[in-house]
Amino acid sequence: MRTVKNVFRRKLRAFLTIFGITIGIFALVVMGSLAEKITLLVNGGTRFYADKVTVSQGGSAGFSVNPISVDRIPAIQAIPGVRLASAGITLPLDKEQSASFGVPAMISASDLRGRNLESFKLTYSQGRELSPDDQGKAVVGADLVQKLNARVGGFIKVRGRSFQVVGILEKTLTIPDDAVIIPFRDAQNIFFNDLPELVQKNIKPGMLATGLTIYPKPGVNPDRLAEEIGKKYPQYDAIGPAKFQQQVTNSTHIFTTIVFGVALISLLVGGLSVINTMTMSVYERTREVGIRKSLGASDGRIIRQFLGESAFIGAVGGITGLALGWLFVLAANKAGEASGTVIFLLTTRLAIGSIAFAIVLGVLSGLYPSWHAARLNPVKALRYE
Amino acid sequence: MNDGDVILQIRALYKTYELGKENLVRALRGASLEVARGEMLAIMGPSGSGKSTVMHIMGCLDTPDQGEVWLEGRRVDKLKRHELNRVRSRQIGFIFQGFNLIPTFTAAENVALACEYAGMPRRKAKAAAARALTRVDLGDRLSHHPSELSGGQQQRVAIARALVNEPAIILGDEPTGDLDTINSREIMQMMRDINKSTGTTFVLVTHNPEVAAACDRTVCMRDGAVLADEECRPD
Repeated sequence: MRTVKNVFRRKLRAFLTIFGITIGIFALVVMGSLAEKITLLVNGGTRFYADKVTVSQGGSAGFSVNPISVDRIPAIQAIPGVRLASAGITLPLDKEQSASFGVPAMISASDLRGRNLESFKLTYSQGRELSPDDQGKAVVGADLVQKLNARVGGFIKVRGRSFQVVGILEKTLTIPDDAVIIPFRDAQNIFFNDLPELVQKNIKPGMLATGLTIYPKPGVNPDRLAEEIGKKYPQYDAIGPAKFQQQVTNSTHIFTTIVFGVALISLLVGGLSVINTMTMSVYERTREVGIRKSLGASDGRIIRQFLGESAFIGAVGGITGLALGWLFVLAANKAGEASGTVIFLLTTRLAIGSIAFAIVLGVLSGLYPSWHAARLNPVKALRYE
Repeated sequence: MNDGDVILQIRALYKTYELGKENLVRALRGASLEVARGEMLAIMGPSGSGKSTVMHIMGCLDTPDQGEVWLEGRRVDKLKRHELNRVRSRQIGFIFQGFNLIPTFTAAENVALACEYAGMPRRKAKAAAARALTRVDLGDRLSHHPSELSGGQQQRVAIARALVNEPAIILGDEPTGDLDTINSREIMQMMRDINKSTGTTFVLVTHNPEVAAACDRTVCMRDGAVLADEECRPD
């Protein structure tokens, strides 16, 4: 109670200081939510790549739109250690892809030959999964439901074609959230139309894929298998779990570092304003410190008093910053749902971490001013006007 | 006067303040004084004679450059900071000219703070504060803030704060300096009563001859030293 009273003795100053921390924590929460989302995406990717090899032509991490022929499957399946090769297609959902954060919305299709071997299981909040015989049917990822106005039994437009929704995916917090899964043959046709006319002349839609998913035989190391496939077909990128990690985590690390760096800078500024406020507050209360010392207050008591106040400033700033950040994330995701770009994820650890950080910041910023107060000469302090 | 009767003794205190590089103030130049247990002593003297410095050193707020301070048979001038804090909180009470109450605290909170610093738990401190304020006739003003009290009442809160831990000695630095005659007399009377009824020793630094007259004994200071009793003349 006394702490609260003391902090708000100078209402405007207390408010401004708390506001400084609030902005810093707000930035940390919003930026952090962005980084958390990316991290989960990557974790999902890591899980997906854990036990297999993907083969594509050019591009990184298997997201290639260069065609690869399904004719290659028998040859690849003949490589020792390969259990099965399955063809797939991933394409951008919108042909004119606007720059976006995170993973763009995708069309995803597979020949489903590997579905019994797949360790990355999808669950359905409604409806069913696609079967190999389906045509003109679609399964919609959780984050695209609103954008596509999808419901089971209804129809959605994908690249101008109409698809009937048969299933809606449970939220995975990773790549499938932003995907529409359609039958392989339909995807081949869409892909064919995307290709330049010159290329179209030489191939048939039925040959087309953007990538192959290779399932190794039990006991075969997928990284080593990827290496072997890469040697045999140098024109392709064969990516195993280790390489995926390397490619993707590197870039996300840089991203996460930048994002947290920006947030930390704003917090540094907030911390400096707490130091400033607490120093002012100690100066203004020099006489009061003198009185307390004349009554025999120990250094520890004085330090605790002022540290309590700066920790309080940190905590209030942290809580309001978290609250604002949370509202922002909610609103931005709500708005993003309409366009299928849900890019924030406020995790519990981020929430708890940011509050804890704010309090620690408050305490650290209060250290010097409170130490200074405790070391004041009582006689001089009592004379201070 | 044998040693058992002396509650506070200062021996040949020297203290020099450095106000600027070339500006040294020799506040004390060999001040010595003995205070008997239970007595009420006035220290008089012109401004700059070292009265306040002596009081600060006696009250363990400051330490001398040279000399000794003995409080209740224990030498206190060489104590460490935390030991001085402890002595102040338990053995000494202060009453200042400007009352020196914490403006955001109520009367009771101001008094209770002294108890808390002396190691009393909060609830006990509250009760002790209420008792001490009742003792100075402010039992009905416990939750008033200093700004809601008259000067005389504020000084009575300060008296309550000084005596709440039952210290060996209460030091007053111009305790009536900011008060009018009527309030001065009232405050003086109250301190006299407390001195008589509890045997608490009082040392009052004052300019006011009336205050000095009400004390058991008066000593004078000049040029940083305590004069012999017979040399003492009112200003």
